[in-house]
Amino acid sequence: MMNSNRKVQSTNPKKVRPKNLNLFTIRMPINALVSILHRVTGCALFLALPLLLVTFQLSISSASKFQLVQDLMHSPIAKLIVLGLAWSFFHHFFAGIRHLAMDVHWATTLIKARYTSKVVFVLGGLATLLLAISWVF
Amino acid sequence: MLLSLLTKRYPGMRAWLTQRLTGLLMAIYSVVLLIRVLVLTPSSYDDWLAFSRPWWWRLATLIFWVSLSSHAWLGVRDVLKDYVPNVKIRMVLLKLVVLALWVYLVWITLLLCNL
Repeated sequence: MMNSNRKVQSTNPKKVRPKNLNLFTIRMPINALVSILHRVTGCALFLALPLLLVTFQLSISSASKFQLVQDLMHSPIAKLIVLGLAWSFFHHFFAGIRHLAMDVHWATTLIKARYTSKVVFVLGGLATLLLAISWVF
Repeated sequence: MLLSLLTKRYPGMRAWLTQRLTGLLMAIYSVVLLIRVLVLTPSSYDDWLAFSRPWWWRLATLIFWVSLSSHAWLGVRDVLKDYVPNVKIRMVLLKLVVLALWVYLVWITLLLCNL
């Protein structure tokens, strides 16, 4: 996971020890990528909550407001935001299911964990693609 | 027993189990939501009201949101603990998150009650 050619400076205590927290110096295996994206998408979904509440409130308040929401959804920016959030949801959903499976000791070996990581990415992408095809176009 | 982990004696295990139980609840709600959308295909305002109004669906939505509040709190708390080393700034952010989640919970409750 860590960069193999980083300098180890343990001999001189006065020198600053490398913390190696720069994400660009770390090569992430697919499991780590699923994991960090589980966090990122969780945060994105949390930040999107007020947007969801406002949209829901508008959609149930009156027929004209409902129409307004539908019209807003036709704009390309709205579609981009909704698809981004949809992917966030799907990834978080499938990665979460994967966590639950591992909690009951299913697919905990490295090879299986790598395989299920790929499955999470494929399912998340596929679900988003299906939504895009059925709704955007 | 598994549920004894939910007591205050084991705060870490309690958070761990809460995170998973609420996640499972929300996953089930999401699947039911998807099936309902696919079967009922609400497209007009009246459809949408009929879709959202059944008492059991509103109750399910409220349970979903309570789960969401708890799940999001534990998740965002862990992220802030990991990435905001400054204790003062972190405390302010944590309080803001709690405040926001309470406001959202009251907000959705009012919306569901007045539906």
